[in-house]
Amino acid sequence: MSYKVKLEIFEGPFDLLVYLIERAEMSIYDIRISEITEQYLAAIDEYKSMNIDVSTEFLVLAATLIEIKSKMLLPGSAAPSEEEIPEDPRKELVQKILEYKKFKQAAQLLAGREETILDRWYKPQEDLAEYDNDHAFDVLVLDPDRFLAVFREFLEKRRRLEEIQTRYERSPRTRQRVGIRDKMRQIRRYLTAKKKITFGEIMTDCEDRYEVAVAFVAMLEMMRSGRIRVKQKVHFGEIMIEGTDR
Amino acid sequence: MTERTKIKSALESMLFVWGDPLDVKTAAQVFEAEPGVVADCLKELQAEYEEREGGILIQRFGDSFQLCTAEENRSYIERLCNPVREKKLSKSALEVLAIIAYRQPVTRGEIESIRGVRCSYVLEGLVQKGLIEETGRSEAVGRPILYGTTNLFLRHFGIENLSELPDLEDEDFLNAAPGEGEQLSI
Repeated sequence: MSYKVKLEIFEGPFDLLVYLIERAEMSIYDIRISEITEQYLAAIDEYKSMNIDVSTEFLVLAATLIEIKSKMLLPGSAAPSEEEIPEDPRKELVQKILEYKKFKQAAQLLAGREETILDRWYKPQEDLAEYDNDHAFDVLVLDPDRFLAVFREFLEKRRRLEEIQTRYERSPRTRQRVGIRDKMRQIRRYLTAKKKITFGEIMTDCEDRYEVAVAFVAMLEMMRSGRIRVKQKVHFGEIMIEGTDR
Repeated sequence: MTERTKIKSALESMLFVWGDPLDVKTAAQVFEAEPGVVADCLKELQAEYEEREGGILIQRFGDSFQLCTAEENRSYIERLCNPVREKKLSKSALEVLAIIAYRQPVTRGEIESIRGVRCSYVLEGLVQKGLIEETGRSEAVGRPILYGTTNLFLRHFGIENLSELPDLEDEDFLNAAPGEGEQLSI
C-alpha cells in the first residue's frame, strides 16, 4: 500500500499517531494496529531521510506500537478460561490517545480564544500622578524613604511612557511617504545648486531615522549607476557627495 | 437617579480613567459598598456594552474588569496607528497550558505523560510570560513542582474564570471539528 505523509510538524508522538488514525478514518476504539504501525514507522523514516531529528519520544511510541502488534499476532494465551476475556493489548494505548485528544481539543479552543483577544486593544494606564494633589508638597519633605518612593514613581512613569511609545508607534503608511526615488531626485536637486554636498547636509533635511536610511540607500543607488561619486576619508567620517557628468 | 444607576455611571467613568484592569475590591472601597453589589453592577454594565454592539467592550477576567476595543474593529485601528500585536503562543505551549488549566495543580511529569514529549522549555517560557506559576510541591517522590494558571492566563484568553472552561468529558466538545471549539460558550 502506498501512502504519503505530508510533512507537518507534530507536537509529539501522540500528535502524529492521532493524525494517522484520523487520516485512515479508523475508530480509536478499534485501531488497525499493523496498518498504523507501518505508517507510523514510514513517517519516522521519512523524517530521518530529510535529516530531521526524530526525538527519542517518537521511537518509544514506535516500540510500543510494535509490541502491541506482536501481541495481537500471537494467538490468545492457550485456552483462555470461559469467564476470562483476554485483555486487548491496545487498551492502554487507546486510553492515552483519548486523553491526549481531549487536551488537543482544549488547546484548539484556547487558540481560538487567543485569536479573538489579540484582536482587542487595551489602553495602558496613563500617568495619573499629575492629578494627585497629595503629592505636591510631600516631595519637599526630605525623608529618604519618601525620596526613594518619588524616584521609583519617576522611573515607573518613564517606563509607562516608553511602553506607550513602543506600543503605539507610528503607522507604516505615514512612514513610507518618502521613497528612494524621491530622495534621489532631491539629491540631484542639491547637486545642481552646489557642486559638492555632504551626507550630513542631506540628513538635516530628514525628519526621522527612516528617512535618513532612505537617503542613504538613495545615495548608494546613485553611486552604483555612476551618477555621483562618493568619498569618505575616515571611518565614521563625513561623506562627500559629488555629481558626475552622467 | 437610583443608587444603582449612580454606581454604574461612576464605575464606567472609573474604568475609563483607570485603563488597567480594575478589580472589584478596589472599586468597592471607593463606594464603601459591598464587593458583591459592585461586582453585580460591573456585570450589568458589561452586559449593556455587549447589547449596544459598539466599539468598546468590557472584558472580565477573574475579579477584574477592563475596557477594550471590539475585535471586529482591529483592521481600522491598525490603519490608524500600528499597535504592536502580541505574538500568538505556539501549538505546544497551548497544549501544555490546556493540560495545566484543566488538571492544576499538576507536575511536569504528569503533563509529559499526557503529551508523550518533554516540556521543560515550554514550561519555563510560560512561567516567564506569567501565564503559569509554581503553586507548591507535590508529595510524590522528589517533591516535584506543581504548576497552576495565573490571572494573566485568564486575561490572555479572555476567560472570566476557570469554572467556565468547557467540560472535557462532554461528547459535543470532543466531537467538535477543529476550530469550532471557540464557538462553545465560555
